Amino acid sequence: MKQQKESDVSQADSGLSLAFITLRLWLAARALVTGLEKFSGTKVSDAAVAIDGEANSYGLTAAESEKVYGLDQYQGVPESLYAKFLAEPLIPEFALSIYDKVLGPALLILGATLLLGVFTRLSLFLMGLLYTSLTLGLILLKQDAGVAWLGIHVLMVAVALMNVKHNRLALIKKW
Amino acid sequence: MTENPQNHSSSNTEQAGISRRSFLRTGSVAGAGLVLGAPSILSASAKNAPSDELRVGFIGCGKQQEVLFNSMKNIPGIHYAAVCDIMKERVGGAFGRIRSAFDYTPNHYSDAEDMLAKEKDLDAVFVATPDFWHAPHTVMCLEAGINVYCEKMMSNTIEGARSMVYAAEASGKLCQIGHQRRSNPRYRYTLDQLIHGNQICGDIININGQWNRGIGASQDIKVKASIIPDQEILTKYGFKNPHQFLNWRWYRDLSGGPISDLGAHQIDIFNWYLGRTPKSVMASGGNNHFKNREHFDNVMCVFEYDTPWGGTRAFYQVLTTTSAGGGFYEAFMGTEGTVQISEINANTKIYRESDGPSWNSLVSKGYLKRSSAPAAAPSDDGGAVAAYASAAPEAYELPGTLNKPPHQPHIENFFNAIRGQEKLTCDARHAFESEAPIYWVNPAADNHETIMLTEEHLSV
Repeated sequence: MKQQKESDVSQADSGLSLAFITLRLWLAARALVTGLEKFSGTKVSDAAVAIDGEANSYGLTAAESEKVYGLDQYQGVPESLYAKFLAEPLIPEFALSIYDKVLGPALLILGATLLLGVFTRLSLFLMGLLYTSLTLGLILLKQDAGVAWLGIHVLMVAVALMNVKHNRLALIKKW
Repeated sequence: MTENPQNHSSSNTEQAGISRRSFLRTGSVAGAGLVLGAPSILSASAKNAPSDELRVGFIGCGKQQEVLFNSMKNIPGIHYAAVCDIMKERVGGAFGRIRSAFDYTPNHYSDAEDMLAKEKDLDAVFVATPDFWHAPHTVMCLEAGINVYCEKMMSNTIEGARSMVYAAEASGKLCQIGHQRRSNPRYRYTLDQLIHGNQICGDIININGQWNRGIGASQDIKVKASIIPDQEILTKYGFKNPHQFLNWRWYRDLSGGPISDLGAHQIDIFNWYLGRTPKSVMASGGNNHFKNREHFDNVMCVFEYDTPWGGTRAFYQVLTTTSAGGGFYEAFMGTEGTVQISEINANTKIYRESDGPSWNSLVSKGYLKRSSAPAAAPSDDGGAVAAYASAAPEAYELPGTLNKPPHQPHIENFFNAIRGQEKLTCDARHAFESEAPIYWVNPAADNHETIMLTEEHLSV
């Protein structure tokens, strides 16, 4: 009977461990790919279309475009939101500028630490703060759908923190 | 901005020091028909060419300023020195856009005269204010020795537009009007190579243009009351109330309404492509949905042109209550083919009449591409209707596209003209000749009459 109970607890613990790893991987992927996308842009073709055997002189270019990644493509806060935030008296310009520079790298770093299981508890807490800061901006702009969407992220981070004791497959377990 | 221009429109003309009569004498011989089809006549002389970096200011920092800035921020050699608007939030927006794109901030002003008094080394000013301010601001800048890029419509009145031509020609400075399609490679290629060079349309008997915009995009603009300038300031700058300030496009004293707001771009293409101005206009308009607006919410008009092949009729409609029907485009419908061109690729289509000359050699040389869109399905009516219908025309596409924002080539042309490297593609005189017929659409609709357009109606 006792053995049966221990077996049940063990199975429940392994289930919780698997649930936590799944949640950790999801949050890591969400942050990593979002951070990576902040370094992406679209490069349209500069190739002049050939007409009657020669490159045209009008500036007509081939219609192709491709997605590219690079440091020069970086945009932390999307351009359309940046101008709106600037018009908000509660958001100082210098703070917005810093936030714009930090946001992408922060997502990448927190995504990587969660993926690898490095300082998982601290990483989750910082990720929660990051999503909360994003929420504050959207509240000011009255983008309620975005606020709710980020709220789901914060809830997932909170659930992860509540179950962090089930963390397995982690490189550095402390913090 | 400065004080209300409605008190100043005539004095601006006088300030230019050139009477309308003298311009009629010297300008009308060249006439609309002759110069419309020609390239621009103005470029900055070499002695006026400034140092390589151009210092630029903005008067008017609303939505259109944002469009213009986003279209020019990738052009090298520009320093954004000053921004001006009577609304603090708009100045802040323009300031922020420049700050976020570059490592410096522009000087900011709430009054255009103040800006010009303090900014002594501007090479160019972009005017993107409400239509009734275009002429006063443009004339003010030109008289201060500054080159101007002014948004279309040139003015809410034809006299205002004339004053801009006088001021540009008296000052010797450049005045580019924002008919940006004139610099668009797709439009220039289509006119030069397809319509003129290879004459793919044959005789262009009909033109059909439209801008269909749905109710959702035609609603009044509203903002938080706290960010609207005080009524004292609004009054000083010609707005009777906050609604006029935000929605000036619907007031007859402040703008030409949808036919000039949206139609001006496209009717300009009618006149540019045909190389002439119309001989008459008839029109119908009404307030069928937005009943409290001063301007018509929907307008339909027909222009008639004398052309070498026996005449051309051009229909244009601007709708603010329906977006369906193909969006916005200008279609040149000829005996052998039709070019339907638009600022966006998706609305651009080229059709060969089924009994017209083959375009195979044009395709093989790269002048045209065969359309990848599926051909029209055959009729399943047992031939009852097909017996009366023409065979479906073959569809083609332009061979290339524009890989920049649509306004960028026009702004590049303006900057290159300041540097003496190009001629303007739409200087004030050419823009006036193309815009002049548009000023007569609303009167034709008001009076339910056909207006025969004479030199008095159309010339500078």
